[in-house]
Amino acid sequence: MIGKILVANRGEVALRIIRACREIGIRSVAVYSTADADSLHRLLADEAICIGPPQATSSYLNIPAVISAAELSAADAIHPGYGFLAENARFAEICEACNIKFIGPTSSVIARMGDKASARRVAAAAGVPVTPGSDDVCRNAAEVKRVGAEVGYPLVIKASAGGGGKGMRVVSFEGEVDAAYVSASREAGAAFGDGSVYVERYLSELRHVEVQVLSDGRGRTAIFPERDCSVQRRYQKLVEESPAPDLPEAAREGMKDAAAALVDSLGYEGAGTVEFVYSGGEFYFIEMNTRLQVEHPVTEVVTGVDLVAEQISVASREGLSVAGSVPARGHGMEFRINAEDPRRNFLPQTGPVEFYNPPGGPGVRVDSHLYAGFKVVPYYDSLLAKLIVHAQTRDAVLRRGARALDEFAVAGLETTLPLHLAILEDEDFRRGGVPTTFLSERELKSDGRGLPRLAATGRPSA
Amino acid sequence: MKDDGTLPEPEKAELPIDDVGRLVDLLAESGIGQIRVKQGDLEITVKAKTEVLPARTLAEPSAAPVVTQPTVTPSAETVPEPGPAERNGGLHLVRSPVVGTFYRAPAPGEEYYVEVGDHVGVGQTLCIVEAMKLMNEILADVSGEVVEVLVENSKGVEYDQPLFRIRPEG
Repeated sequence: MIGKILVANRGEVALRIIRACREIGIRSVAVYSTADADSLHRLLADEAICIGPPQATSSYLNIPAVISAAELSAADAIHPGYGFLAENARFAEICEACNIKFIGPTSSVIARMGDKASARRVAAAAGVPVTPGSDDVCRNAAEVKRVGAEVGYPLVIKASAGGGGKGMRVVSFEGEVDAAYVSASREAGAAFGDGSVYVERYLSELRHVEVQVLSDGRGRTAIFPERDCSVQRRYQKLVEESPAPDLPEAAREGMKDAAAALVDSLGYEGAGTVEFVYSGGEFYFIEMNTRLQVEHPVTEVVTGVDLVAEQISVASREGLSVAGSVPARGHGMEFRINAEDPRRNFLPQTGPVEFYNPPGGPGVRVDSHLYAGFKVVPYYDSLLAKLIVHAQTRDAVLRRGARALDEFAVAGLETTLPLHLAILEDEDFRRGGVPTTFLSERELKSDGRGLPRLAATGRPSA
Repeated sequence: MKDDGTLPEPEKAELPIDDVGRLVDLLAESGIGQIRVKQGDLEITVKAKTEVLPARTLAEPSAAPVVTQPTVTPSAETVPEPGPAERNGGLHLVRSPVVGTFYRAPAPGEEYYVEVGDHVGVGQTLCIVEAMKLMNEILADVSGEVVEVLVENSKGVEYDQPLFRIRPEG
């Protein structure tokens, strides 16, 4: 039984968790930095404890401060949300040692799925398709060439410890391997203190499709309809939808079966997401996020399942209310409203929100910590609000999304709202199934009447 | 000092007017209430009109820069924080640099570090804030009289929560 949950996060996700607690009847404890003293999560929780100064490393990422706050408030569980400490295996381990229930999988599962090469091995062992490539680290250029001969070119050399494109090189043919291997390994060594690299077939045009899972850790698992998150900018998702449009049934079912197999092999507990790339009719495992995701409401609106409530229920040993393959009812889409100026290279925006009026009406949900007068501070991520729309068909979602975005008023700073309106007008997006290069090939312009439209980069607006 | 290592003879009759001028400037810049300088027989005290912070004694007039508030942050975080102590109606507030449990004594049953009315000096231990079994000693950053203890022994405190009121010495 869980009687009180400490929410180790801020912003909209902290609110999301506090709301779930209130509906279930569990007391909630907010933690906040001095920069968030006027934030809604502080005000709406049953209790609130200031844990540090604005910088996240001294507050939201400060493990002793978070644990102390849990002990002071006698919370018996911690919900980490997403980001911050959500995938920190050490934090989960400390919670376990302090007898505080970490709402999520065990620290060892987090650690196994947190390391790229290890996660790839675990997935392959569970029979999940991984991108063709090396089984493990490549110790020299000759090994890369051997993989190339086997799986074909182009290949991408990646840092095993890596991320963010560092230590990554695309090679189009064997002649490029020697130089690319040396530079990738050197770069990885400089960036991560570990020069080991592995190699995969390079997929040029791909979609990002992921499967939400929920498991009680005792063999009862629910697999949710897949989400398509291909509209991204620099690996940051901007629009997510479910189900994925224009996806062959075999791929859809294949991904869900693969996700189920992986979850079962891990003895996974809680909510998680298995991410795949889909390219040319094939799908391959990329990684597993062992936490709640930003885009979880898309799944909630198409299935009617409260994922946060289910997480809490699993953590309380009260089990899951759903199991097996959960069907989609209609279509859902989420738009991330960020404090970034899409007309000026997504320049981060800070300062007070002067006016705030979120949309409403049928099929519209807004998850946000904003209010008029709220001050956007520079210390944390730029997510201001998530607009989630739901309707019977994708076409109806496109119309409803445009209507809701049009109603959405945020004054005082620039946001990604006009970008979303332009995305909804784009022909390729409306058709559905765009690749992850969709946004990088386009830029935000205004048409003759000043309405936001996307235009191909480098070419004048039509 | 001279090259041979001996101290110069104090010049009894002459007032180092330039140095006094520099002290006045220093006082204005630093916002400190009073500066007292001692060199040989000579002692100069420069006071601000309204007393702000307690006096500091400098070893030599040239020993600038004058230190500002000594910090008492026992944690390793070095980010700019709101000062752990501040003015409060002429009184000085000592705040908690960490979330944790407030203890007035080094161990259960032992005497409290300080009581109301006690005189404390800079660097003296006022209390402990325990976080995850780590005992963080909170030190006085001013000298003066403890006027009020704002938290009950063994209660939880937040980051930045006021713990003591101290009347600084002029």
